[in-house]
Amino acid sequence: MRIEYINPFVDASTEILSEVLNMEVKREELFLKEDSSSILGLGVIIGVTGSVSGRVLIDMGIETATAIAGKMNNETISELNDLAKATITELANMIVGRAITKLHHLGFDFHISTPTILTGNNVEVTTLQIEAISVPLTLPMGKVEVNIAVKEIDT
Amino acid sequence: MKADYPNINDRIPDGKKPDGGNYRVLIVDDSMFVTKQLTQILVSEEYEVLGSAENGVQALEKYKELYPNVDLVTMDITMPKMDGIECLKKIIEFDKNARVVMISAIGKQDLVKESLLIGAKNYIVKPLNRAKVLERIKAVLK
Repeated sequence: MRIEYINPFVDASTEILSEVLNMEVKREELFLKEDSSSILGLGVIIGVTGSVSGRVLIDMGIETATAIAGKMNNETISELNDLAKATITELANMIVGRAITKLHHLGFDFHISTPTILTGNNVEVTTLQIEAISVPLTLPMGKVEVNIAVKEIDT
Repeated sequence: MKADYPNINDRIPDGKKPDGGNYRVLIVDDSMFVTKQLTQILVSEEYEVLGSAENGVQALEKYKELYPNVDLVTMDITMPKMDGIECLKKIIEFDKNARVVMISAIGKQDLVKESLLIGAKNYIVKPLNRAKVLERIKAVLK
């Protein structure tokens, strides 16, 4: 996977999380993710098309998700209800939207699909034949992983 | 003796029309979070939120049903069934004077340009900021 594809997602994730939560976001070392792995509790998948094909997965634990949703809504959210799910889905949408805007400025044409939300402790995501890179981000309320798996389309 | 002057701090909320009525808004977004956030921002300035739609198909139906009582539509772009660009085209076909403000997480220049060429009056990139939303909407309704 081209490194030019990764940096916009890393930057967009850090920027959006800092903006909407108004708190420090610490970026950890990127790592290669196995083809198949379980989500941390809640994952939002957004398909990416255009000059590439693949997907972006924004992944976090349930407690982290409810804490983030609570902060973004300025209210206490103690369970993963519909509002919490909608909030995290929109957070993922904003991260990927900002990233593809940055990619567009670099001359890459990416499009995105509507997000799909996954919840559960034993939900496995498999990305066949596409290298996946994970960007761990540490927040005061827990860890968020942004997992990018895209490949160029053969023309 | 106390003079009965008007309070210079009294400000007319952005959502009030010169005739004293309220500007009426239709919110189109597939996210419950964004609809809630926009409603809070608009209501805080006394705009009247007429309703919301979760996709382009629903939005077009609601616009036609509420016409001519909608002063402004806020339109998301990435939505199921019918996206915001297609819905914008159909609303403008139906009512060439429609005031539609696009609100999207994607800020690509070609998308902004396309929206404005079709007839959108403004374009706001998420995340939403209260001041930015109110300023853009006020400018459109002026």
